[in-house]
Amino acid sequence: MSEETVKTTSAGTASSADEDLILELKGITKIFPGVKALDNVHFQLRRGEIHALMGENGAGKSTFIKVITGVHAAEEGHMYLNGQEVHFKGPKDALEAGIAAVYQHPTIYPTLSVTENIFMGHEFIRHGMIQWSTMNKEAQKLLDRLDADFKPTAEMGALSVAQQQMVEIAKALSTDAKIIILDEPTAALTANESEKLYRIVEQLRDSGVSIIFISHRMEDMYRLASRVTVLRDSKYIGTYDVDKITNADLIKAMVGREIKDMYPKPKVEIGEEAFRIEGISRLGYCKDVSLNVHKGEIVGLTGLVGAGRTETMEAVCGIAKASAGKIFVDGKEVHIKNPTDSMKAGIVLLPEDRTKQGLIMDWGLGDNVTLPIQDEIAKGPFKVKNIQQEREISKHYLEEVDTKALTIYDLGSSLSGGNQQKVVVAKALAQKNMKVLIMDEPTKGVDVGAKAEIYSIMGDLAKQGYAILMISSEMPEILGMSDRIYTMCKGRITGCLDISEATQERLLELSMEHGNEEKEAAQ
Amino acid sequence: MEEKTSVWKRLRSSREVSLVLILVIMLIAVECIQYFGGNGHFLSPTNIGQIFRNNALTMLMALGMLCVLLTAGIDISIASTLGFCGMVVGMLQKNHICQNTLLLFLLAAVIGLGCGLLNGLIIAKCHIAPIIVSMGFMYIWRGLAYVVSGNQWASGADVAHFAEFGKDGSAGPYIVLIVAYVAFFIIMKWTRFGRRIYAVGSNSEAASVSGINVDRVLISVYMIMGFLAGLSGALSVSIYASAQPNMQYGKEMDVIAACVIGGVSMNGGRGSVVGTFLGALFYAVLAKALPLVGLDSIWQNLIKGVVVLAVVLLNTLTQRAMDRSNLERREM
Amino acid sequence: MAGKSGRTIDITPRKGKFFRWETGLIFIFIAVIIFGNIVSPSFNVKSVFMNMPKYLAEMFMMFAMGYILIIAEIDISVGSIVCLAATMTCFANNAGLPMAAQVIICLGVGTLCGVLNGEILTHFQELPSMIVTLGTQIIFRGIAEVSMGSGGSISLSDTKGFAALGGSIGIVPIAFILIIIAAVCFIFILSKTTTGRKMYAIGSNHTTALYSGIKVQKIRRNCYILIGAMAGVCAMFMLATSFGANTTTGQGFEMDVISMCVFGGIATTGGKGNLIGASIAGFTIVLLKIVLSLLNISGQTILVIIGILLIVSVMIPSINEQITNKKKKAALAAKA
Repeated sequence: MSEETVKTTSAGTASSADEDLILELKGITKIFPGVKALDNVHFQLRRGEIHALMGENGAGKSTFIKVITGVHAAEEGHMYLNGQEVHFKGPKDALEAGIAAVYQHPTIYPTLSVTENIFMGHEFIRHGMIQWSTMNKEAQKLLDRLDADFKPTAEMGALSVAQQQMVEIAKALSTDAKIIILDEPTAALTANESEKLYRIVEQLRDSGVSIIFISHRMEDMYRLASRVTVLRDSKYIGTYDVDKITNADLIKAMVGREIKDMYPKPKVEIGEEAFRIEGISRLGYCKDVSLNVHKGEIVGLTGLVGAGRTETMEAVCGIAKASAGKIFVDGKEVHIKNPTDSMKAGIVLLPEDRTKQGLIMDWGLGDNVTLPIQDEIAKGPFKVKNIQQEREISKHYLEEVDTKALTIYDLGSSLSGGNQQKVVVAKALAQKNMKVLIMDEPTKGVDVGAKAEIYSIMGDLAKQGYAILMISSEMPEILGMSDRIYTMCKGRITGCLDISEATQERLLELSMEHGNEEKEAAQ
Repeated sequence: MEEKTSVWKRLRSSREVSLVLILVIMLIAVECIQYFGGNGHFLSPTNIGQIFRNNALTMLMALGMLCVLLTAGIDISIASTLGFCGMVVGMLQKNHICQNTLLLFLLAAVIGLGCGLLNGLIIAKCHIAPIIVSMGFMYIWRGLAYVVSGNQWASGADVAHFAEFGKDGSAGPYIVLIVAYVAFFIIMKWTRFGRRIYAVGSNSEAASVSGINVDRVLISVYMIMGFLAGLSGALSVSIYASAQPNMQYGKEMDVIAACVIGGVSMNGGRGSVVGTFLGALFYAVLAKALPLVGLDSIWQNLIKGVVVLAVVLLNTLTQRAMDRSNLERREM
Repeated sequence: MAGKSGRTIDITPRKGKFFRWETGLIFIFIAVIIFGNIVSPSFNVKSVFMNMPKYLAEMFMMFAMGYILIIAEIDISVGSIVCLAATMTCFANNAGLPMAAQVIICLGVGTLCGVLNGEILTHFQELPSMIVTLGTQIIFRGIAEVSMGSGGSISLSDTKGFAALGGSIGIVPIAFILIIIAAVCFIFILSKTTTGRKMYAIGSNHTTALYSGIKVQKIRRNCYILIGAMAGVCAMFMLATSFGANTTTGQGFEMDVISMCVFGGIATTGGKGNLIGASIAGFTIVLLKIVLSLLNISGQTILVIIGILLIVSVMIPSINEQITNKKKKAALAAKA
């Protein structure tokens, strides 16, 4: 039907014409203002296969999924479903065509029942009345099929993320979806829960559903997928058979560049201990966490999503209450009840979510930078704003981190993710007595170029003698920037490796180990 | 730990059950005090009838407020809409333009519907906080009620025929209440439209993704609210046999309070018709019972307020205890 | 010191926009004056000042309500606080306490109510302020009703002190002078001090404010205490013109005050607007009320005008935004 021929890249395996393709996308290009989010991407899904979609953060996976599910319309390219070209105007069209997506953060109705979440939009109706008992029975059937341990009448908001994901899968099944897309489904799950999910996915495949599986975790892919498509920097890199490609080749396809260029880590003389926490506990999130950071040292803290890294640091910085534990700065114990205390003690947290926690997006950059220090430079007993000095301070630090902005009055929302992160760093630097910098996922959602800049800023800060603790889920940056790496799992520290002994596999193992042990103990 | 959680959960999830329990206990207590004090039954047909009749307006409008609160909105213009519609109905009779009871009720309801439509249109299409828009209309309709009245009241003789419908002993108000509650019970639980209101309030983003026209749902809930407020306006004139421009001033707060007691969440998505009914009934019984147990009616507001605040705070504490026990259960 | 790329960032202050909300308000204010002059022969400075005290009392609360709205909260209990404070002051007056004690009681009761609101809201942060203040609204009025007893009203037995408070210096009412002083203080704090900026930060994004080391809960609590105290001031000046209180005293004040703020350009979603606009809006409404009263038009008709002003004033920015959004989208589409 199309005169175009499928372009096969040198790395990709050529597809034979007689394959039973349920979904095919050719030359998809999606442009957002100023950015090409997808650049000529191809994808083929066979009937009844589990196809992994891999790539780094920002490689374009989510955008690609949104094109398939009709949330975004692609500027260029064609999409064929069962050989027929289709154009989706919205998510509803895709649903009706049998394509359902289960997102990492499920879009749920928290106050409604599981049944209602499953059947919203396609309820069973007779004589204009919703048939609750039939729907509950159907929901129960779906949940039984997924081996779920909760009732269809349970309230959605009361379920765990894993259970909510299961409901989303049930929802996909209820629409008779032929293609189910799972977006990072295991990211928030424990090892046990992941295993259960694997079994469900396999069961779905056996019943004839085709599955697209997005994940960061190699073991997900090896466990489930038969083929894998790799995206990098918004471009299509190739499609490979999972049992024919080596791990190293796959990583090279995903990263595609020498890691050395990316992580300009300077040699820094590591000084004495600047920061130590002992036995920090927070109910339900972490238990007995102890670690330390020296002057000039960059310490990585890694673990799976939900391991309690962020929550621990929130307790340290006084944003949440710690139930136990001691904090030392320069060997002296400090007592932190709120973020103000934490800043006074010299501990500054750069939060994970820049737009919601780090910056006030509809304020100018200058005001953002000086927000924490305005009291210190204010004039007189009434604390009159010292606008002149604030301007100079914000200019100084914004320039020091090389922010791409014209004036200090530019709005936070006008900057890219990377530059927003720089403003947050400038905001921390403006605090004169800062000694310890805790960076939570500093490069999340930052494009590749800006990432390198942020790493170089981190290096500079280490050189200036700041103690840096970096929380990150991204193995390459953990391995590239850290001097020492702690791993956390289920709220506990599970290991501390020197950079010389750390490998991706070892770290992953430590991030999971605790859970596996527990699982074995339980059995 | 497990058991404790489930008790909490059950208590929380069935606000209706706990309300019924409290109501029953309250009724028995008042009944005993009354009966053994030699004052006859509290639960006499007359008393029960009065409880409903005196609070018919609150009960009726609580249904509309339920819909509005379910979408995480609020409408504080309802007492003014009521006043405006009631005043129009009153003046039409005073000036001998129309005396047909049914027609007058219909007219009031239609005017109310129009008021609600305006309210909803601005809230949904301009994305302005509902409290501000409805505050504006609160002034406008109340002001128009004064304009329509021309500084006059419609009283006794003017509305004599109309008041037949709502006078003490007439079945009118009860029929309106029963019809409204049965209809809403069915709509909110068993129809797609009712469930869409819940969906929009629970997660409006998810609702629009699953193809629900959020704006249309929002506009229709404010129209429902306006309709009921208009109807209440006519009912008010009929029950109290008078129409004054400042009638039922401040009623919106009573209505909201009844909903809140009945377990309707102001954050949207949570609440039921049964709960709303029980909340309004609780409020009504409280008002009727207080004088009988020796508390002057001037104590009414204070006790109402304490009850509202206590319910809200208790709810929060329960939620906290639940969250805490959930955290404690997490394996580490 | 410039960054690695040598890029410099400009700090020259930007010129303010030519047309601001306040500019528009001033035009409306002038229009009301012109309107007054045309329609009423008795409209002059003297008559305005003479009629003013009646309408001014509410404005004291407006400033504090501005703070509350800017930190993205709401307090609908202030009308009831006015009622309670006025009632208690009447009791103190009737008990023969000296004027100073009466003033202290009036302010004290208001402050205490504010403390109660503030404490509940900071200890139960998950509750919307609307619902808590709805509860306390009923309670405060309830206490007033109970203390007034079955009569439902109470009046001052010794009106001398309050009559003096309601008097004038020359032709300028004391209330007006105090309003101007209050306005200057409140505007100064909001727009010139770091405290003011903290309030804007909380209203814009309270999470970021918390992460930036701002004591969010302390400021919230203080705002509620402040508005309680200002409700006390309002009660005082209300007594100075009405010499008594009844169960409907202060009813609807909260809405009047909120609408002045919103008309003055303060967004109920927080972080936007300032008290200069709110002050002009407040005076415009007071002036309008005076003009209509001079014309012997029922005070209630003005409700329609206030309502329309309120709705139009919130619709203009919203429609404006929608138009610019559409333009932006069209521009992007053209680019792509």
